[in-house]
Amino acid sequence: MSASTRYARSIEPVRTDGRDIDLDVGQLAGEGASQKASGSIEEHLGSMAQTWRQLPEASTTDPAYYDRPMLQESIWGWAIPTYYYVGGLTGASLALGAAVQLKNDPELAGLVRRCHLIGFLGASISGALLVYDLGRPQRFLNMLRVFRPTSPMNMGAWILSATAASATGALLLSRRSGFAGFIGRAAGLAAGIFGLGLATYTGVLVANTAVPLWQESRRVLPALFGASAIASVGCTFDIFCENERQRRITNLFGNVGRIAELAAEVVMERQASTVPRVGRPLKHGLSGMMWRSSELLMAASLVISMLPRETRRRRIAAGVIGTLGSFLLRFTVERAGSASARDARASFHQQRAGHGAAAVTASSHDIPHR
Amino acid sequence: MPVQKGFFTDTTLCIGCKACEVACKQWNQLPDDGLIFSGMSYDNTLHLGASTWRHVAFIERPVPLKPDQDGAFSWLFSSDVCKHCARAGCLESCPTGAIIRTEFDTVYVQPDICNGCGYCIVSCPFGVIDRREEDGRAWKCTLCYDRLKEDMQPACAKACPTESIQFGDLDQLHQNAAKRVEKLHEQGLTDAYLYGASKEDQPGTEGLNAFFLLVDKPEVYNLPPDPVVPTKKVKAAWFSMAASAAAMALVALGTAVFTGKDARS
Repeated sequence: MSASTRYARSIEPVRTDGRDIDLDVGQLAGEGASQKASGSIEEHLGSMAQTWRQLPEASTTDPAYYDRPMLQESIWGWAIPTYYYVGGLTGASLALGAAVQLKNDPELAGLVRRCHLIGFLGASISGALLVYDLGRPQRFLNMLRVFRPTSPMNMGAWILSATAASATGALLLSRRSGFAGFIGRAAGLAAGIFGLGLATYTGVLVANTAVPLWQESRRVLPALFGASAIASVGCTFDIFCENERQRRITNLFGNVGRIAELAAEVVMERQASTVPRVGRPLKHGLSGMMWRSSELLMAASLVISMLPRETRRRRIAAGVIGTLGSFLLRFTVERAGSASARDARASFHQQRAGHGAAAVTASSHDIPHR
Repeated sequence: MPVQKGFFTDTTLCIGCKACEVACKQWNQLPDDGLIFSGMSYDNTLHLGASTWRHVAFIERPVPLKPDQDGAFSWLFSSDVCKHCARAGCLESCPTGAIIRTEFDTVYVQPDICNGCGYCIVSCPFGVIDRREEDGRAWKCTLCYDRLKEDMQPACAKACPTESIQFGDLDQLHQNAAKRVEKLHEQGLTDAYLYGASKEDQPGTEGLNAFFLLVDKPEVYNLPPDPVVPTKKVKAAWFSMAASAAAMALVALGTAVFTGKDARS
């Protein structure tokens, strides 16, 4: 019996003025029968009838519990996807800074310094964003009371702390002479290494969840976030460009990132869609539109920055468009993941398709009622 | 180590009275989490959450319970609860160490440590734990840790009038459950099976300290058919991260080196 027929008798055929009496079978003869009433059934039954009308059909072949979510949706606000972007930008710019620093070319000292500046500001903002999103912000230091490799968030807290400390050291000391300068330059290299972790661990953080879309994309998410981080560094230097020499480095760096990000997006969509229901948020609805938009923005930014005869205006356009694309990507991953968490069937189909525990446990086991 | 404690929830005995929900709310002094009319059978609680640690599901099934029954309809009731998994997603993902395993082998959130980061919420493969917004911390069933320490049984099990919720030593519960399944099979309810009773049943969680007896697909009860603690699958992501970081380093070094040559020429 489907939900619609189950409730049909009580609601649908009754043409009533609010008395719930079907005049085909009953008559109005009570003491209050002459009391005036009017209006449609929707008005009289109000939200209750609406609720019943919206009830999903029960399915025996593809069951779910009233189409209610099975998982809890992420409660992270805007600060977390923003942090994915800022943290990525921070990490990748520190990595670039360290690589350029290794060349030891005085002409490029300005670029190194800018990388350190972005690293310092970015790490500070990252910390602020993460603290802001906590339910109990005053307890943020609890993140560092354990060292727990099973928790990518705990690892991330340590990586961010190390990045922030070394970026600060690099910014303050690397232009000094003597021992302080040596410490500063060492801090610059360390910041580059920690930065690599900072730009990519967020992919692991998101993958280490029960959210079907994120779990299914676990192999590609760190690469996607890393590539997007490189692209966002390129875009930032498109906007704040100092001179031609630096420009050549940051332009190439950014374009490699843009291409890698686009490639990773294609791979992610394909991997997630192995189980169609899991990949659905990347193709449909608002999250699908956001996904396409972020791809288009990044592709547009790539095309503009590869055009011959670069102008200042074009360069800034490429930077702004690419930054938007990179930023939007993080919000899309968050939103599409939440959409897949809200859809109980995404998890059910994923696990029935052998992509649940069966994907990693060696012993084959029976999934109940296969 | 004291014996492992747990719940055996036999859904075939549940009559949907919600005494467990009420007893849990009362003992733990939990606030309400919204009074709504869902239209979904008698279930206006809908899901476990920060302030709902027991939830009775009301399933109106368009199939008979037994083949010889008249009419294609049957009720299923099931009191859902935190599973206290042997490998708990919330515990493994908790970045502060607020979530611990107790001496009773249950999973407990220490409210004085939790900073409300929200990571456990997306890491639970059953969607159990949640953050109370006004409070800012994550909460879930404690398996009445306070009562256990006083040698009392949890409030929900105490209140259950039909012994649908059984509390006890895990070994004993496993024996009871196996006997019960056998008996139901003898009575013709051949669909009865245990959900999450052992590592073999549910390798993704390595077994649940709060396991269930079900008579239909897990999905019908809003339970995942093959849940997995995310940590078990995340190795691939760590490898990908290592590879991505290495690739990023190469790109950074490559661009710095190659463009340098161009500039000099």
